[in-house]
Amino acid sequence: MNFFDRIPLFSAKIITAFLYLLLAFWVLKRPKSFILEGAPTKKRWRDLRLWAFILIGIQLALYFIF
Amino acid sequence: MPVYFIDTIIIIFYMGAILIFGLHFRKYVSSTEDFFLAGKMLPWWVISFSIIGTNIGAYDYMGASGGAFRFGIAQANYEWLGAIPAMIVSALLVIPYLWRNGVYTVPEYLGKRYQASVRTIEAVIYGLFLVALLGIFFWASGLMLHTYLGWPLKLSIMITAVIVGVYTITGGLAAVAVTDVVQCGVMFVGGISVAFIGFWKAGGVKEFFVMLSSTHPQHLKVFLPLDNPQLPWLGMIFGLGLVLSPAWWCANQSIIQRTLGARSEWDAKAGMLFAAFPKIMVPILVVLPGLFALMFAYSWIELPGPFKWVLPFPAISNPDQALPWVIKNLLPPGLAGLVFVAFIAALHSSVDSTLNSASTLWTRDIYQRYIRRKASDRHYLLVGRILTGCFVIFGVIFAPVTAKFPGIYVAMQNLLSFFQGPTLATLLLGILWWRSTKWGGFFGLTGGVASAVVMFLFKMNFLYVAWWSFVASALINVIVSFFTSPEKPEKLRGLVYRFLERDEKAQKILRQKVEG
Repeated sequence: MNFFDRIPLFSAKIITAFLYLLLAFWVLKRPKSFILEGAPTKKRWRDLRLWAFILIGIQLALYFIF
Repeated sequence: MPVYFIDTIIIIFYMGAILIFGLHFRKYVSSTEDFFLAGKMLPWWVISFSIIGTNIGAYDYMGASGGAFRFGIAQANYEWLGAIPAMIVSALLVIPYLWRNGVYTVPEYLGKRYQASVRTIEAVIYGLFLVALLGIFFWASGLMLHTYLGWPLKLSIMITAVIVGVYTITGGLAAVAVTDVVQCGVMFVGGISVAFIGFWKAGGVKEFFVMLSSTHPQHLKVFLPLDNPQLPWLGMIFGLGLVLSPAWWCANQSIIQRTLGARSEWDAKAGMLFAAFPKIMVPILVVLPGLFALMFAYSWIELPGPFKWVLPFPAISNPDQALPWVIKNLLPPGLAGLVFVAFIAALHSSVDSTLNSASTLWTRDIYQRYIRRKASDRHYLLVGRILTGCFVIFGVIFAPVTAKFPGIYVAMQNLLSFFQGPTLATLLLGILWWRSTKWGGFFGLTGGVASAVVMFLFKMNFLYVAWWSFVASALINVIVSFFTSPEKPEKLRGLVYRFLERDEKAQKILRQKVEG
């Protein structure tokens, strides 16, 4: 039995959640001016970081459920 | 499988309508930018649905349903962990660099960032792969029409070739992207109808999952143990989630090309990011039918007395038959035709995108660079159209060959998988690390591919090959870069993080160039 075989299966969910949270942190650090470059208006819904947070939230919920 | 008149009418109506609709866009094409990048006029929502249409092929329907039949909801990892994070990274990191530099192809960016040889290697590999895919797509769609409607096989292939070929040659990316939107809509309507019927037969959503969890509890687990031959959790996270998926969503020409045709940088980013929302729902289309088959496809033997006995084996011997079984046994006439149209739409949207991207790669990165350097824009437009036509003819001729030698497809898939990890490492280091040099890029790419070949020969799982070839490529790139002289800042302006996001002057120059 090698090292990886001893890792319990639920740690896959923990690693996945950690990676998603890391991604959310990276998204948060992206400058707003860079995100909104080329947008015709600066309305709040055009801030693509919000879209990314919603996506990450849905993913975390799905991986929590299953 | 019985074919009802209403099903045939639906299928013929779809094919006629999509041809007329696609042809409408021919009047908007008068330059190479119109043909390859839709005149840089695509809004974000068209890009989104076009990306999803391109991404889902009929093989996904069959393969993913079969995978769900065998392994359950873990198959959805290909649509969730194996797509969503990569789409976010592609939208917020890679696409802005490609879009601002006004490139037509991903290899073109790599050529600017590193050197021409890197561009050529990438263009030839992806160009060959896309062309080989066409034969397989044409064969699959011909086979579908032949099997379902009983039309002669050759005629079925020709019908697909004519419909998709005509609107792709005349309308270019605009026709491809807009018909993709329609095809994506058809796919979702078909898929959701199957889901609705399946849940209705089970007595409700909750009842279905309660039934599934009592009979097949393992099929509701998103991660599977390491001894699973196809979906081990470690390979899913590191191989699929961190390498194969970002390589697909950041560097695959047929996916990225529609974002490069966006009307603004924001539309390009938003198009990719919004596509992630329908992508999350794709398991409803491709995974649920496999689970329905698992629940409903049992053989019942009526024994004398009050009991019914369920055989321990399902009525499906080959998991890839899960979806056809669902269509045949669960769906009423009319709806079966609609789902069949969804298959055809999935195939058409993949064929048209593959044709257009292959033509772009071969025209921009090979013909324009090595065969005729300084010709008029009209000439390159003509070449793009002729090449698209040639690829259609090649696909039609090659289709029966791919069926006779299925090894061709496997070999092409293997060849591409050798490049996925190294391509991603080369692209990401190119964007993020200014110190990466042209030789670092060249040796990182070729060395990474060589390491992937060696690992493949040792029969390593392809998910692990992807991860380790990515690591090897990045390491070689870093080491070689430290031993070679750095690139001049003028060459890197606008191409790397340090000379774009942290350089206001570079941003201003690029903005003027794009707007001009």
